[in-house]
Amino acid sequence: METAPGPTGRPDCEGQAGVEADVLDADADPAAAERGTYLGFVAHEVRNPLSTALWSAELLVRMPAAERGGARGEKLSAMCLRSLARVRHLVEDHFMCERLDAGALPMRSEPLDVRELLEGIAAKRPPEAPPLELRIAGLVAVNADRTLLERTLDALVALAGREDAAVIVDVKVREGIIWLTFNGQPCSEELLLDPGKGTAGDPRGRALAGPLARRAAEVLGGSLRVVDGAFVLALGAPSLAPRPP
Amino acid sequence: MSLSPLVLVVDDDADILEAISDILLADGYRVLRARNGLEALDCVRTEWPAVILLDLMMPVMDGPSFAHALREGYGDHGIPVIVISADGNPARAEAVGAQGYLAKPFDVGTLLGRIASMTAGASPPPSP
Repeated sequence: METAPGPTGRPDCEGQAGVEADVLDADADPAAAERGTYLGFVAHEVRNPLSTALWSAELLVRMPAAERGGARGEKLSAMCLRSLARVRHLVEDHFMCERLDAGALPMRSEPLDVRELLEGIAAKRPPEAPPLELRIAGLVAVNADRTLLERTLDALVALAGREDAAVIVDVKVREGIIWLTFNGQPCSEELLLDPGKGTAGDPRGRALAGPLARRAAEVLGGSLRVVDGAFVLALGAPSLAPRPP
Repeated sequence: MSLSPLVLVVDDDADILEAISDILLADGYRVLRARNGLEALDCVRTEWPAVILLDLMMPVMDGPSFAHALREGYGDHGIPVIVISADGNPARAEAVGAQGYLAKPFDVGTLLGRIASMTAGASPPPSP
């Protein structure tokens, strides 16, 4: 049987072919090669859900209007939304990392109620997400930039909740430090590293949650490490004048 | 009455598998799905596909290893392989001996056109 190779004997190619050929010489410029690998990973991670979002939308458009409300229409609509949510996470995490690296994130420190932030994150989780339990004794408040702290906590909840694991966030104040422990799927320091060759993707679009949390913890003046398989975020002095509830 | 061509789709992303299957089924093809190369080899042992759509980066057994195992097991098997990848590097398709390369995200029409051209006169499975 003829297997229909391209006219040049090479595979017939469509799309972004050739844009990211392996032309970077790691010996000549290791930093550029590392950066190229990172950006290649991000592009790869975005393209899969972008594909399913585009295809499901196109199939919906092709479908007779009367069928869109049926089972297939609902399945395609759900796929489109799920895929776009993955793309959104990846794009937002990527650009947050970029802005943190560039020192270009405007920040405003204010007293924040940690429980309120975590409850807000829990409320935004999709209905099918595994349970998120908060263990906080009393009012715990910290001075920080709201957006950055929210994004950090959200990233750590996502990491602990990998593979549909239930998540328990334990918050304690000891010796003037706020300790937030994210228990769930066992974690390792590797999850905090920037992705490289061979790094696994994430079916929920949170492949950059670790690199984001690492950068954000540093900018927040805190520390992030793994203790007994759980991420532990330590934040500086609690706010002395928390905003009243 | 002849059966419609069978397409084996190999990808570790569940949504990609679902979406491509939906596209192909709606166009009258039969579809086999596999989440990695090992599952794909099992599929080929069961039913001989007319075309294979193959992702490259997968756990358990990746695309290049599957292509190698297929050649080892069936020699010049004659099944057209189209690499579907998000890595943007068609050289990898050439390296696995594929006949086509589609960079995700590709158009639905492009996919169907490519499969139609490759399933015209599909070969029968080799004799045991």
